[in-house]
This record gives sequence, structure tokens and C-alpha cells, in this order.
Amino acid sequence: MSESSRKRSSFLPSLLAVLAGVVYMVFFLAGESQMVIFGLLLGAGLVVTAFKYLRVLDVVGESAKDNQRAFSIAVVMGVLAVSLYFYDDPFVLFLVGTVLVYVLTCLGLNIQFGFVGVLNFAGASFFGVGCYTAAVLTKNTAVPHLVIIFLGGLMAALLGFLILIPVLKTRGHYAALVTIAFALLFKTFLEVNDTLGGPQGLKCGALNLFGWDFNRDIVIGSFEGCFYLGYIAVILLLLILGFIMARRMEDSWVGLNMDAVRLDETVSACFGQSIPRWKITAFTIGNFYCGVAGAFYAMMLGYIAPTNFTFGDSLILLSIVILGGLGSMWGTVVATIIVILIPEKFQVLQEYRFLLFSALVIAILLFRPQGLLPRPLRSYITLKSSSNR
Amino acid sequence: MDIGLIAQHTVNGLMLGLIYSLVAVGFTLFFGVLNVIKFSHGDMLTWGVFTAFSVYLGLALVGLTSPSFTLVVVALIAMAAIGFLGAVIAKVLIIPLKGAPPLNTLLITLMLGTVLRESIRLFYPDGANPKHFPALLPDWSHSWGHFTLRFDNTAMLIVGILMIILVQIIIKRTKLGMAIRAVSQDEETARIMGINFNMVVYVTFAIGSGLAAFAGVIYGLYYNELSFNMGLLLGAIGFSAAAVGGFGNIYGAIVGGFLFALLQTVGAAALPFASAYKDVFAFGVVIVLIAIKPTGLLGEKETERV
Amino acid sequence: MQNVLLSISKLGKNFGGVTALVDLDLDVARNRILGLIGPNGSGKTTFFNVVTGIYPTTSGKVAFEGEDITNFSPQKVYRAGVARTFQRSRLFLPLSIMDNITLGDHSQLNNGLFFNLFRRRALAAQYREIRDKSRDLITIFDPDLADRLFEPVVNLPMISRRRIEICRALISNPKLLLLDEPSAGMTHEETFRLIDDILHIKDKIEDLTVIIIEHEMSVMERITDYCAVLNFGQKICEGTYREIASDEEVQQAYLGVD
Repeated sequence: MSESSRKRSSFLPSLLAVLAGVVYMVFFLAGESQMVIFGLLLGAGLVVTAFKYLRVLDVVGESAKDNQRAFSIAVVMGVLAVSLYFYDDPFVLFLVGTVLVYVLTCLGLNIQFGFVGVLNFAGASFFGVGCYTAAVLTKNTAVPHLVIIFLGGLMAALLGFLILIPVLKTRGHYAALVTIAFALLFKTFLEVNDTLGGPQGLKCGALNLFGWDFNRDIVIGSFEGCFYLGYIAVILLLLILGFIMARRMEDSWVGLNMDAVRLDETVSACFGQSIPRWKITAFTIGNFYCGVAGAFYAMMLGYIAPTNFTFGDSLILLSIVILGGLGSMWGTVVATIIVILIPEKFQVLQEYRFLLFSALVIAILLFRPQGLLPRPLRSYITLKSSSNR
Repeated sequence: MDIGLIAQHTVNGLMLGLIYSLVAVGFTLFFGVLNVIKFSHGDMLTWGVFTAFSVYLGLALVGLTSPSFTLVVVALIAMAAIGFLGAVIAKVLIIPLKGAPPLNTLLITLMLGTVLRESIRLFYPDGANPKHFPALLPDWSHSWGHFTLRFDNTAMLIVGILMIILVQIIIKRTKLGMAIRAVSQDEETARIMGINFNMVVYVTFAIGSGLAAFAGVIYGLYYNELSFNMGLLLGAIGFSAAAVGGFGNIYGAIVGGFLFALLQTVGAAALPFASAYKDVFAFGVVIVLIAIKPTGLLGEKETERV
Repeated sequence: MQNVLLSISKLGKNFGGVTALVDLDLDVARNRILGLIGPNGSGKTTFFNVVTGIYPTTSGKVAFEGEDITNFSPQKVYRAGVARTFQRSRLFLPLSIMDNITLGDHSQLNNGLFFNLFRRRALAAQYREIRDKSRDLITIFDPDLADRLFEPVVNLPMISRRRIEICRALISNPKLLLLDEPSAGMTHEETFRLIDDILHIKDKIEDLTVIIIEHEMSVMERITDYCAVLNFGQKICEGTYREIASDEEVQQAYLGVD
């Protein structure tokens, strides 16, 4: 099958899929009774399974692959549409914002594990580093908030860099050990440190960009929207940026080199790869994503506490990455929605989250290790479209 | 410095070192035999002590309360049960994943650990709260001035060390041990020589898990407490102890375990303002040691065939 | 221009108690194909691994183009101009043919983060260049594969994989090519074709020296200019194929001592 001989498939199937998704989301997010939620979940499960066997999913996949730019825009529009529908519902909007924050975080973890193969068991901790950076800086300094978000990412990246250095030249399980230790000790460290609020945590200032206070409701004419809409707009932008950068990284020599390092270090070395270079690059960039997400989240939530950054939370983040598919960015998006959104609406699952998702990961690794949306083969497609073939 | 205080710290350090070593030996055995990091090992310790505790409660219900008898029964049942569980895990999860990338197995076992942990929290009666483990050893003690020698701690130390020596003897002197060592060195050749590979793996996992259960009982006796997440940190410590000693090397695991305890004790003594920092200190030193000597202080087994 | 490309002197390699290489002296002449022969376990692959820096030497020296490269890291050895294939075919299985071959050309690609993220036009140009280069290379061995550049390697039969592995080694224009049992897993016919291709490549490329490990004596007879025979880590004979094939010690090593 040569590169350009196959006809480019229509955008319609994936557009319809996005529209269906938007409608479903509206019903799902609006649903109150647990029975309705359960029914919706069951229904979705059945429909998706049926579509898989009827090859409908393949058609949609082709359509999305061939029309990536249009598809991405459609998805973004869909998110905005859903948000605007719930314009005066703070609970739903906060949930949407949270999901977007987690997608950004898990993209970072996917870069670390999916691309280069470095296992990070402290994702929630690096997220927490971003949170605390934001909390401390917003309450004690006049640093502009965009800079604070950037600094949150920087702090996480720096800390990650420091803890990875000692184990760069060792085998994979040592990097795991270092991040496990960091994850376990981070929470304890915060709890005994009163300057960082101790077990009660810290308050964080609301996002304030160019004078606009994001904690004020949005009033435009007769339209009165919940203030979370503003936050959603910002995180969506950050996410789009992060997604594009990750995609570009993947679809380039950088992604290729990272794949080589992940798949076979010895052979990579024999062809000139510097193993430490790519591990550090991916690890640092990934943690930057986590830190940025964390800093933003702290501002959105307004308050942070050590109980949010446990080892278990880091494991949930990893579950998302594995469930979605290692190295698969759209997989991460879908998996985040499943892992974060469902327990929030289907309350009975909340208590069983850790148990459930750990068991799910075991099942995935045993029976479908490539995840829900397996990572497609690198086809340098973004390079082909940005050039004259 | 107060002699009594030093002695107290020493005993504490030795007990911890013993517990860590027992867990670390498990890690190192599993790595030796299958090149796997079984990260649910710490939670096997938890299940061990909870099993012991449950059996104790059961015995008490039936009216059997003689402490030394109870202790022996409870410990043996816990070790056997968890040993069996370890073998089952090996059969169901570990061996099927032999060909998969090693990080996958690490992940799966870590998730398994979470399942084990959460199962206790969710399904054991009042699982979320710590419980009081009965003091089943007589509390005789003898004092010389500031220094008090307690029978129970001494007994535990002695039995614990005997247990480690027992494992050593099994590995070095028995046919089973030879089979384990053969499989660790070269699976293919071991198979060709007629060794039942799968059986060796099951037995190794049973031994390691039984040791973890034993360590759990000791932990329960010493700290008089058990809780659903006690295995998490202990597992991480056991893992790093095995790492710093050199994976696949039993002596390394023992040295690593006691070394970690030593570092914690030194850290606690030197940094009195927050006991949490003792863990940071201990992990920090261990990681630096691993960085300096990645194959471990006593040498890791060679694993890659180019 | 020096005649000797690779010079091995008194090379020794121990693994704990096991001696893999002993006092090995070998001069590899430029532009020639040297065959490395010996029974299993005689140290041939270990020799490759030591030269390419995967294992550190226990003793002795390795000199490449006059420069001492003893104990260089594999990356440095590669940059000096040495590329290799592996005994057990070690391709990056989930990746495509194009990806696999491209990874051999690491030194030619601009791998900077900024370049890859932001200078997409220039990256696209470099991509097209190497895509064509890969396509041309694989066409020499198998034109059919050239049409399937973006298929994953994992589905391909062994002969295709071996060819791709050789392309991966060749794409960086190495001065020294180390082939470790390239015909393993192939039929006689496939082996014949592979050797044809290697000879063809050798003719096309000006400055290429090859060391090849093989068990198929017919291959050695056809392709090599001269051979060296290893047994228990020592060189026991050196000369043209005809010479070493009729050497008594060599025959004993292969057939066993009476």
C-alpha cells in the first residue's frame, strides 16, 4: 500500500461521531438519577461493542485519520458546545474543566511512558508541585498568573530532572523505584511542612489574566455565564497547545528516537542514540505538562491539600495512560473521560475507584496491552501536509 | 549519650532491618528466577498479618487463647496461606507474562498490589481503620540500669534470623535450592537438564510470599498494629533494599535491608525535628548508592544476551 | 590511505570465570570482505560486541583507522563509522520499515528539539530526503518492500527482516560493516540471493569493508576475500577460504578431536 494511492476518506463519519458524542455528553452530564446514568453507561457500552463488530468504528477511525485537522477542530467545538449548554451549572462546568486538566496531565505521562518508556509513578506528585507553586506564588507575590502557570511547569520539570539524574544510566525498574519513593514521600513531606500549609493545605488565588478576574461570573448583555466558562477556555487553549506539541514531537525524529530508546536500548546505542538524552527530554517535558496542569488546577479550585496527591492518585493517572493506549494521544483523551467522568456521575463507583481501575489495568495488560485506541504507526502525516508532496 | 536510648535505637533498627530483609529476600528471589519485580510483595505482607489476625480472632472465638500456641498456629497458617497465594499469583499472572516487556510485569504487579490493598480496605470488616495486633509473646524483661532487655524482641530477632538462615540453607544446600539457582542462571539450560521450570517458579514465589507473611507477623507483634496500607511503604523499602544490595543476590538483600534500617535510624536520630525526613534521608542515600553502583553493592545477576 | 582499517591487538575478554576471547590479533584490510568462522561459542559474536563497545575489553586494544577506539561507547564507535547487524534479528518490531531504516542514520538527522517542533518545513524536506534514500536502499534488496515502506516490520518474514536490518546498517554509509549470521533462518535460495545483494552493494559503494560471521561454508567461499577461524576465543588460522578449509586444526575444531 503506497502512500498516496488510497483515496482520502470523507470527513462525515467522524463528524457524525463527534456530534453523537456531544449529544451523549449532554445527556450524561445532565443526568441526575443513578438509574439514568447506569442506563446511559450500559447503552453506550452496547452501542460501542455493536459498532466495533459492524466495523463502524473502523470507518470512523479512517475518517478521523484522514481529516485530522478538521476532526480536531470538531472535537474542540464539541467541548465548547457542551460547556455552553451548561453555562449556568457550576458543578458540570467544574467537572469539564477537571477532565481537561487531567487530559493535559496524562498527555505528559504518556510522553514519558508511551514515547520513551520511562515509568513515572509520581504523576500526581508533580501535578502537586505545580499546584503548590501556584498557591505560594499567587498568595505571596505579584507575579503575573500566566508566568505562574509556566513556573509551575518549570518547577515540576526541574524536580523531575533532579530525581531522574541518579538513575539515568540504570535499568527501567530503578526509575520506577525513584518515582515510587518520590510519590510516597511527597505527601508526607507536605503534611509535616507547616510553611506549605501542612495537612490542611493552602489557598490559591483565582486566575487573573490581564486584569480579568476569572472568579467573576461572565455577564455579556443578557447572558450570564458561570465563571468556570472562563477557566474552561483557558485550559482548553493550554491543552490544544500541549496536544499539538506532543503530536509534533511524535511525528518527527524526536518521537522516532524515543521509540528506539524504548524498544531496544542496546541497538539504539549501536546506532548512535544517547539514551540518557531522550529519557531526560521526555521525562522533563512530561513533568512540565503535569506542573502546568497542576498550577492551573490550583487556581481553578482555589484551594489544595496533600490528600489529593497520593500514590494512589498517581496510579489512577497511569491507569488512564495505559487504558487509552501507550503513546496514543486521542486514547488518553477518551480514557480520561472514562476514568474521571464516570465515577463522578455514577457515584457508587467512587469508593471503588482504585480497586476498579487497578483491576482494569491488569485486564488490559493481559488481554489488550495496546489499549483502547492503539497508537497508530508513524506515517509522518503532519510533515506530508505541511509540505508540497 | 544515654546507653538505654542507644540500645533502644539499636533494637529498633535491628527489628526493622529484619523485616526489611525478609521482604527484600522475596524481591530478590523473584527477580533471580524470573527477572520480574513483583511489586505486590509488600501487600503480601499485609495480607499475611491480616490472615494471622483473622485466624487469631477465629481461635479466640473458639476459646483457644493460649498465646504461644496461638502465635505458632497463626503464624504457620498465615505463612502457608500467603505462600499458596504467591504460587497462585505466579501461575495466573506472572508466568503468562514471561515474554512481555519487564515494565509491564512491574506495572501489573503494582496494580495487583493496589487490588490487594483496596480489597482489605473495602471488604474486611472496618478495613479502613488500623487494628490492634495482640501481644502474643510474653512480656518478660530484665533491666540493667537504663537498659532493658525484652524477651519478645529478642525472641523475634532470633527467630527472624533463623528464618533467614533457613532460607539460605534451602537455597545453597538443598536440591530445590540448586534448581532455583540453576533456573536463575539460565532458564533454557535448566529446562534441558530436566528441571520443571514452572514448579520451581511456583515454589520460589511460595517461599518468598511466605517470608513476607512471616515478616508481617513480626511487624504486627512488634508494633502491635496492622493497617491496610502498611505494605505499601514496606514494599517500596524492600524493593530498594534488594536493589541496593543487587537484584538476584540474597546476601545483597539482607545487607540492603539492614542498611536501610540503619539509615532510617541514623536519619531519625540526626534529624529529630521531623520523623518523616528519616525516610527521605534513607531513600536518598540508597538512590545515590544505586546511582554509584547500578548493579548493587554485592552485584546483580547478568541478564541480557546480546 | 591506510591499508589496515581495523587493527585488533591482544584482545581478551572474560565474563567472570568464562573466557570468551584470548589474545586475539587481527588486521582487517580496507575494502575487503573478511569471514569470521568458528564453532558455536568460539567468541565470534563476543568479538563483534567488544569492537562495537557493548562489552568492555578485559585486555588488549582495538584501533580503527589508526585511532584507538578501545572501550569506546557504542555511540562513539558508530560515529567513527562502524555499523552492524545482530545475530538474533533485532529490529524495532512495532515500527515501520521506514522507521527502522531511518534509525540507522541517526548521525545525519537533525535531532534537536527546536528543529523538530518548530522548523517543520525543513524537517519535511529532510524527511523526504531520507524517505527516498531508504526506498532506494531497500529496492536494491527487494523492490516489493519499497512499496510497503510504512508497514510494520513485525509482520514480515525473516528474509525481509534481515534485508531491512542490513539497510539500517548501510544507510549511514559506514566504513566498516559487521554482519552477524545474516543468513540465519533463510533457505539456500534466499541465502544465495542475499549474498548476491551484498556483493552488489559492495561493488556500488566505494569505501566499504565487511566482516561477516557465517556458518554456511558455501557463503564464505563465495563472498569472502579471506577468513579467520576462531576456536575457544583464539584465532587458530587465517588465510583464504581454500587455505583455511584444508587446514587440519580447523577441521578438528569443527569435527571434534579424535
